[in-house]
Amino acid sequence: MDKIFRLSHREQLVVQVILLAWATVVLLPFGAAILNSLKPNVGQVFREPFGFPDPVTWSNYLDAWTSANFGTYFLNSAIIAVSCVVLVVFCATTTAFVLSRMPFRGSTFIFMCFMLGVIIPIRLTLAPLFVIVRELSLLDSLLGVILVQSASMMPVSVFILVSFMRGISKELEEAARMDGALPFRIYWSIMLPLVKPAVATVALLTFVLSWNEYFLPLIFLQSSENFPLTLGIRQFNQQYSVQWHMMFAGIIIMMVPTIVAFLLASRQFISGLTQGALKE
Amino acid sequence: MSYAIRERLERTLLLVPGVVLYGLFNFIPLLGLLYLSQVRWRGIGEMHYVGLDNFRQVLLNPYFRDQLFNAFFQNVIFFFVVIGSFLIIGTGLALLLSFRTWGRKTYQTLFFLPYPLAAAAVAFLLDLFVNTRGPLNAALTGLGITEAPIPFLGSEDTALVTLALFYSWHRMGFAIMLVLSAILAVRNDLLEAAILDGANRLQAIRHIVMPVLAPAFVLITVIIMVDVFNNADYTLLIMGPEAGPLRSTDVMGTYLFRTAFGGSAASVNTNFGMAAAIGLLTAIMIMPAAIILALRNLRRD
Repeated sequence: MDKIFRLSHREQLVVQVILLAWATVVLLPFGAAILNSLKPNVGQVFREPFGFPDPVTWSNYLDAWTSANFGTYFLNSAIIAVSCVVLVVFCATTTAFVLSRMPFRGSTFIFMCFMLGVIIPIRLTLAPLFVIVRELSLLDSLLGVILVQSASMMPVSVFILVSFMRGISKELEEAARMDGALPFRIYWSIMLPLVKPAVATVALLTFVLSWNEYFLPLIFLQSSENFPLTLGIRQFNQQYSVQWHMMFAGIIIMMVPTIVAFLLASRQFISGLTQGALKE
Repeated sequence: MSYAIRERLERTLLLVPGVVLYGLFNFIPLLGLLYLSQVRWRGIGEMHYVGLDNFRQVLLNPYFRDQLFNAFFQNVIFFFVVIGSFLIIGTGLALLLSFRTWGRKTYQTLFFLPYPLAAAAVAFLLDLFVNTRGPLNAALTGLGITEAPIPFLGSEDTALVTLALFYSWHRMGFAIMLVLSAILAVRNDLLEAAILDGANRLQAIRHIVMPVLAPAFVLITVIIMVDVFNNADYTLLIMGPEAGPLRSTDVMGTYLFRTAFGGSAASVNTNFGMAAAIGLLTAIMIMPAAIILALRNLRRD
């Protein structure tokens, strides 16, 4: 065992060189983004993309936040992502609880309907989805985007939670039922505390994916005061020349929350995203 | 009220929110595809029932068919570039990370760093790098590899592959992580037995590690297939719905989008019915992959 995975010094060197090379490929764009977001103009971005900004222009961030409306976009992204997390966690835990713990005639059918949502991505249904959202007068509103994005997260969340709940023993629940506890109480006092790890995974996954979503807001939002960051960032691209220094300031504002979430909970994050990958 | 009735009532109340949310905004649209694909409708105004005409048009009428085949073919290329880079670079890096290397935990986190970014961030982050005046071209001309800068995103020969590589850069950590966890799951006693039998490292990797990676490869392939055939974020972000240059970056997602909402220039031809038909056709194309994925998950479950 050890023989296979232990490396001689020369091998170690070769491996390190390769790993460092890929680390450079990964980190270079991040580094360039940070450096260039502090440059005073586009000219300097192109003259020396990796040069140190001269002078260091922190005001790019302020400009993006105020005059380019990133404050509004950030708030919209936060409203969308947080609402989605709350809505998905509530709806998916209750649904998964009933489907896994209190089966009835038709509960397998309902579960299969949810699984169909895992198989067929919501983007393919954009025409009928658009019609429904319009009929409910939810076009160009944050509520509409929140409901659609939450619904798109439901199948995978229900799937993760149902698998998790099936692994939990029924003894506690049965004892509670003997004492006359009703489903609300069993859900709230017994099930929810037991499934915390799965809830954390679902919440993290929902937060990151709804923060990053581009396509659904693109379809349903028209006025820029409702834009999340993913739509707002395009404004630096739509003029004749891209304002790269502002673009990078915007990108960094956009990526900070998800990167922070990742660094704080990287283990949960990786397991969540690999489980959630079947949704994307 | 008796216990049994209250129990049933509360159970129903617990089920309703999730079912309504998912049903209204995900499941009914799915069923709606079946109906909407049989009408001709601009989204507003009069709706004409046309039966299977949308399918006939999109598969037989040269104007629509050529776009469909073009989008599909380019989507396949996009898929192979992504999956190829995942299998070569992703597997290679995962193997290296499975050795006792210095700082492997740090590298793992580092390689995963692009994953939590939005496609909107990745698209513009990498866009600058491949710009004709950007660092990559500066390096290429500086080293004398090319004489003139290469317009990676501006030329129809390179744009699609460049976008696919953006996608790979974004998701590479995911491939590495899946392969790495498969390698680490290889049973130690198997490897020990192989060494005792006199196998060297390459033989052990080839005959013991590689076979268990097959399921991981299948999983990656299937997930990526489902994703790239509906996700057109990179093309939409950088090229817009017209999927330039000259439709060379058109994929199923952008074709679908254009059919429903129109491109930048001609929005006269929009037809929600045909968009539904294209959605349904795409769903059928990815169905085999999606079913493998679903079965695998249900079995594990």
